[in-house]
Amino acid sequence: MQATQDIGRNAAALQRGGRPAAEEAIIDVNRVRAGTKLGFLGPAVFALAAIGLAPLIFAIWTSLYNYNLTKLANMRFIGLGNYAAVFTDPVFWQAMGRTFTMLVIALPVQIALGMGIALLLHQPGLGFLKTLARLSLVIPMATTYAVVGLLGQVMFNLKYGVVNQLLGFIGIDAVNWLGVPAYAFATIIFWDIWQWTPFCALVFLAGLTTVPMEIEEAARLETKSWWTVLRHIQLPFLVPGLTAVLILRTADTLKQFDMVFTMTRGGPGSSTELISLLIQRIGFRAFDQGLASAQAVVLLVITIVLSRLYIRIFYREV
Amino acid sequence: MTIRSTLTALAASAAMSLALAPAGASAWSLEEAAKPYAGTTVDVVFLLRPGYEAAKQMLPEFEEKTGITVNITEMPYENALGEQVRDFVAGGDLDIALIDLVWIGNFAENGWIVPADKFINDPQLADPDLDLDDFFPLVLNAFGAWDGTVYGLPFDNYSGLLFYNRCMLEEAGFDGPPETWTELKDVYGPALTKDGKYAFALQSKRNETQSADSFARVLWPFGGSFLDENFRSNLLSEESQAGLKFRQELMQYMPEGIVAYDHAETVNALAQGDVAMITEWSSFYPTLANPQTSAIVDCLGVAPEPAGPAGRKPALGGFSLAVAAQADENEQAAAWLFIQWITSKENAKRYLDLGGVPARQSVYQMEGVAEEHPFVPALVESWQEGVPEFRPRFAEWPQITEIVQEWGTKMMLGEVSTEEGAREIGERMEAVLEEAGYYSGNKPLIQ
Repeated sequence: MQATQDIGRNAAALQRGGRPAAEEAIIDVNRVRAGTKLGFLGPAVFALAAIGLAPLIFAIWTSLYNYNLTKLANMRFIGLGNYAAVFTDPVFWQAMGRTFTMLVIALPVQIALGMGIALLLHQPGLGFLKTLARLSLVIPMATTYAVVGLLGQVMFNLKYGVVNQLLGFIGIDAVNWLGVPAYAFATIIFWDIWQWTPFCALVFLAGLTTVPMEIEEAARLETKSWWTVLRHIQLPFLVPGLTAVLILRTADTLKQFDMVFTMTRGGPGSSTELISLLIQRIGFRAFDQGLASAQAVVLLVITIVLSRLYIRIFYREV
Repeated sequence: MTIRSTLTALAASAAMSLALAPAGASAWSLEEAAKPYAGTTVDVVFLLRPGYEAAKQMLPEFEEKTGITVNITEMPYENALGEQVRDFVAGGDLDIALIDLVWIGNFAENGWIVPADKFINDPQLADPDLDLDDFFPLVLNAFGAWDGTVYGLPFDNYSGLLFYNRCMLEEAGFDGPPETWTELKDVYGPALTKDGKYAFALQSKRNETQSADSFARVLWPFGGSFLDENFRSNLLSEESQAGLKFRQELMQYMPEGIVAYDHAETVNALAQGDVAMITEWSSFYPTLANPQTSAIVDCLGVAPEPAGPAGRKPALGGFSLAVAAQADENEQAAAWLFIQWITSKENAKRYLDLGGVPARQSVYQMEGVAEEHPFVPALVESWQEGVPEFRPRFAEWPQITEIVQEWGTKMMLGEVSTEEGAREIGERMEAVLEEAGYYSGNKPLIQ
């Protein structure tokens, strides 16, 4: 209907010797005075430069210096010295390894569970319950990261935590979730999955609603296999959402800080010291801003490369 | 110049300043001294601890007498160093520095704090009753002085004490707490670890607690130390290793997951009757003696920390207050008046009664104080013998403590042996000290 109206409008415009409506709109935009454009775009560009670009440039600058807040008298240019220290520091790579381990475990689980929940909620019927479920999915995401960590600290407490109490009801001995390195690492992964699976579910659910009803219904008439419908009809519509989930969750995991910091503070030992906790420790507890900046720049580069890879791999299929 | 001679000289100069005051001048009073600074606001960082609550309750009196406003920013310990460093680097608002004993080298070397003699030698500002000699010498030296110069006056003062559950000990057949660490491990450990209860808990969470409360606590009583006289690592010495191995062996009598225990968990474990003994800061006495936070009030016992082969070397910690160099002259004067007042002999008893722990010797000699505050005898005894460099106080400590926290925890978890861990800490610690210039002679070997 809309298309028909557009064709009619364009034809009328051509009859008048003018240009199609869409082209007129473009020309209107181009005729906007430079001052007006600057007025609209300027604040956003300035804000972005002030809060995004300037700190980044400052971080790159400090990463080239021996720059310790408690030893400013010793500040000097050391070129790529901090980067050499980062690349040869086993602690940095161990932290990076932990972060990627968390990513490759948590992300597929979040996607799989999120997809499952989205498909369930996409089924017809049970309208009120589905609305309730959708609303409750927002709660973990809406909770402040640091609060999620504090909740975890209390709930997984060895002696007083509700998790061990529940396990006790079914005869399982208390588990030292946050005191044993391997368990602590598993716990933060579990907690991350708990908080972010709903996000994946909601994104996929939104994707499923974009599948044209008639195509989906036609496919269901052709086959009873839900997998075939998912693979050939629904999945193509989910790819943009999946790409967004991959990029956002990867970036989020690589900069994961608040939840882990409040829950375990990187311990016991270094077992939950993710890369962002290490950077914070070096930069704000040992005050070595130069080294911490170099670590952050390396992390930024890795994040950008990964994001580009996701876009290249997944968007090609769309 | 030794710290004692410096203190004596300062005390003498303070006395001389008073003696040389113009004849007929009226006696010094806080109100008179503060008159030029009425309306001044001084900014200071406070922690969320009992001593600071006590000071806050006393504050209205100071503000009323002087017209000086003390603007307090409260924060947890873990944030206090970073907050102050950023403020001093950026030329911020703080007029008073709150200095943990391990920060004093850092603050003094960076010129962020003003030597106290600037004010002590000013008869308008110096209280004739200041009496620096009244502070426990160990405490004033450790918390307030660096390289022979006094900067801060001890404000929130702790010593490590042995808190124990007398009832649990009596049930196990003990009529008192252990005298030595070896006795604690070999005699009390097996007897008190049973039925889901543990003999001991040593707070060892990976933050300053690991390096100060756990790692350093087992080094010194066994004759070990972080550094030798040449500032090389001493952690592989026989004595240091004995202490670190002792900690490993003692862990069998501690609750599972002790590396996740911070102060709160440890104090709570004793307060709920889950462990029989803990070594904790004196400032936790009110928590353990309060029926609302402790189930063992009637069974609570307090003693000095056990001794090791090298003697009793209890954990030493606490904070001094010093005037910040970035403050202007008026703010500095107002800040000094506050510091002098809150740490004064005159206010020590009230501060103690409100939950603070003053470092004034005179208050602990008052009649009835030991009965009112049962931790006092153990505290006073602990402050007779201690090591100011329990943790090195130089500017490099923030970097070194991170190394100790990481590898000290790995040792406890059995991920590395005590030798491997000590070697790692030693190499990394020496790299930090080398870069700082200690080995090239650019910096004096002061800790």
